[in-house]
Amino acid sequence: MKYKDYYAALGVPRDADQDAIKKAYRKLARKHHPDVSESPDGEARFKEAAEAYATLKDPEKRAAYDELGRRPAGQEFSPPPGWQGASAAGTGFDDIDLADLLASLGRGRARHSAQHAQPGRDVEASARISLEDAHRGATLHLEVADADGPRTLAITIPPGVSEGQRLRLRGHGGPGRHGGPPGDIYLHIALAPHPVFRPDRHDLYFDLALAPWEAALGAEIETPTLDGPVSLTVPPGTRSGRKLRLRGRGLANGRGGHGDLYAVIHIDVPATLTAQERQLFEQLAQASAFNPRAVATPEGTA
Amino acid sequence: MTPRHESWSWLDASEVIEASELSRVCGLSADEVEELVGYGALRPLSSTGPSRFSAACVAPLRQACKLRQDFDFDLFTVALLVDYLNRIDELERELRSLHAHLPHPLRAQRDGPPPWHEPHGRG
Repeated sequence: MKYKDYYAALGVPRDADQDAIKKAYRKLARKHHPDVSESPDGEARFKEAAEAYATLKDPEKRAAYDELGRRPAGQEFSPPPGWQGASAAGTGFDDIDLADLLASLGRGRARHSAQHAQPGRDVEASARISLEDAHRGATLHLEVADADGPRTLAITIPPGVSEGQRLRLRGHGGPGRHGGPPGDIYLHIALAPHPVFRPDRHDLYFDLALAPWEAALGAEIETPTLDGPVSLTVPPGTRSGRKLRLRGRGLANGRGGHGDLYAVIHIDVPATLTAQERQLFEQLAQASAFNPRAVATPEGTA
Repeated sequence: MTPRHESWSWLDASEVIEASELSRVCGLSADEVEELVGYGALRPLSSTGPSRFSAACVAPLRQACKLRQDFDFDLFTVALLVDYLNRIDELERELRSLHAHLPHPLRAQRDGPPPWHEPHGRG
């Protein structure tokens, strides 16, 4: 068994009180926590501090640890005869990790050391999928690592997930030990940006450009949906910013229904005009009394 | 084996989780779940009978409990974290919603898909 210097790991003297130990741990945890640390060894430093703190915050474990005396970190050693943690070690100390041994003290002797049922580890995973896969469902291959090493897990995502959706797959996480149940998989869904559509839960939005005459006169426009193109009726007098709804053409919601699809209108003009176009626009400008600045009203939704 | 669709639990308001199951998946005791209810961080779906909760509370509570373990927080801090995590989640959802609704050309100031053009369009 290798010796670990838990006091050095937290940077506290061996006679530090509980408050000092907690403060030192929190400072290190804040610095090296995987959620905030950008350092490549951040996670390892965090685990090292957490392991040290797990022992030193518990008076019983700390006393057992202190009984081992002070040695150089990494030195092979065996605990002194009669050491209070020895009963948990079984036949010897050669292949035992000090942290495991000290942790078994905390599980209580009534449970007969480490042989009690332990549930498997949960697997936390994120999946970035396309809108099409969210709409129709998809099979993903997750790379997960547990006590038995890395493995690939094929999972089928149900149709109807949306951005930020969280799912749980019970019993497909890491295997339990000593008869404990397997862990679960927790999956966090993110949707990859789509070249056309923007999702809002199960509704979809896309920008639909209209020529001024299409907006003014109305038009039938072939528009995309996740299930193929459909015809959209643009009513006469459609203003920029208006949203035209195609009911039930959004994402599947997983419960037999669908969100809606919204075309967000903006009106475009030719960057350059032909002589005839210029002439016609000039005629229109002269003939029309329309002043968009005089009649500006809040845009409605169709 | 590929798990079937029916095996998934949707961790949102469409599903319900029993207090005992919530305790298990978050590594909390039954008393701690009760205490979080007392702090207002968890809201049972009804005031009578066995406590049941919206499954939407699972993810933020698990995250708060993980932070509790990592930083040695007390349970009251977990209750505060759950409130703030829910608030962040809601604000992120509103932000995504706003981005989806913004019409061109306001959206041009951020990354995102360009306006759709017919593949066979004139330009």
